Amino acid sequence: MLPLTAVCLGVLAALLAWPVPAALARARWTRQDPLAALVCWQAVGLAGGLSIIGALLVHGLSPWGHSLPEAWWHWVSRRPAEEMVRGDHWVAQTLAAVLALELLGVLLLSLVRTARTRARHRELLELLVGPATDVEARVLDSPVPAAFCIPGARPLLVLSSGMVSELDADQLAAVVAHERAHLRERHHLLLLPFVAWRAALPVLPAADRAHDAVRDLVEMRADDVALRELTSPAPRRTLAEAIVAAAEGGAPHGALAVNGGPLAQRVTRLLDPPAELPAWGRPTALASAVALLLVPTALLLAPALL
Amino acid sequence: MASLGELERAVMDRLWAADGPVAATVLRDELADRGLALTTVHTVLTRLESKGFVRHDDARPRRFAAVATREEHAAELMHEVLGQAADRQAVLARFIGSATAGEAAMLRALLADSD
Repeated sequence: MLPLTAVCLGVLAALLAWPVPAALARARWTRQDPLAALVCWQAVGLAGGLSIIGALLVHGLSPWGHSLPEAWWHWVSRRPAEEMVRGDHWVAQTLAAVLALELLGVLLLSLVRTARTRARHRELLELLVGPATDVEARVLDSPVPAAFCIPGARPLLVLSSGMVSELDADQLAAVVAHERAHLRERHHLLLLPFVAWRAALPVLPAADRAHDAVRDLVEMRADDVALRELTSPAPRRTLAEAIVAAAEGGAPHGALAVNGGPLAQRVTRLLDPPAELPAWGRPTALASAVALLLVPTALLLAPALL
Repeated sequence: MASLGELERAVMDRLWAADGPVAATVLRDELADRGLALTTVHTVLTRLESKGFVRHDDARPRRFAAVATREEHAAELMHEVLGQAADRQAVLARFIGSATAGEAAMLRALLADSD
């Protein structure tokens, strides 16, 4: 019997499915330390998946043994159950398998699709734009201001000619530094699971919130890294100006006004930087992330409670 | 020896500059300064065809043409990168997403306020 372990994992899964991501998405400290916040988000995602699948598995296999490793071993070696196997055990097993397959399958599918799109974009770019004369970036002929990078083994950093004509040299350097930060820190990998799981779990509003929060944090982090590299006299202002100029050039006309949004948050954060986190802030956040991963792992591996 | 990527770009440049379909021999002659064998030109054209950038007609000898103009390809890429298209996470790292005119005006106001 492993019922208490299953209940604990179930409670953890419920917390990680709604209240925890909601609180983390609302938290103000994440803007002060986007990197620590990104680590916390990864932990929330991983621990959430682990605890929901774990809860189902622990319950489903409970007739076979006293701990999950033991029950699992007995189950795969086709030993007869020690206790009566009821319908709900089969249902839990099936749900665990379906959920695990769906989450991993969608992640894999997302990886493959993204890789294919990136390969296509790279092919197009290599035909359209020769290697940059200066090593910084390739310039794509298009009036819409845009800057982006294609991550991968041979990353490409692209500026549109509209972007180049819209910004001055310092602002362009800021944009390039921002994109290089994305590439160097592999931000696409941080975002990938959240993109995939939002697609896998459309019924879970937290998946949506988590994705948006991670997307915004990744941008803030890239801003922070870029600021350290810029040599212009007022790097924060330069980067903010670059964001505004790019937004103005690309804005479709006649669209509705909005009063906020991630871009405004970024510009505000650059112009009016939040106070630094206290010295204990980052260690606390990182320790919480580790603890969040350790709890379900321990519950899964430790002998059954009671 | 130039890389295949560079050769592909050179061939596409010729096809985009041409008025109509072009035979492989003409391409070889136009790229004479590179000293390419006709088979190399055909290899490059086949690669470009499999990538969907080039098509050929049924004339003898076959003549090749670009599927879309350079501008059309650039527009297609920008459209995918700037959103609306399904796979926009493929290029996660856009400097900004698409902003509305109202949002842009508000950002400008933020900037002016902090002067």
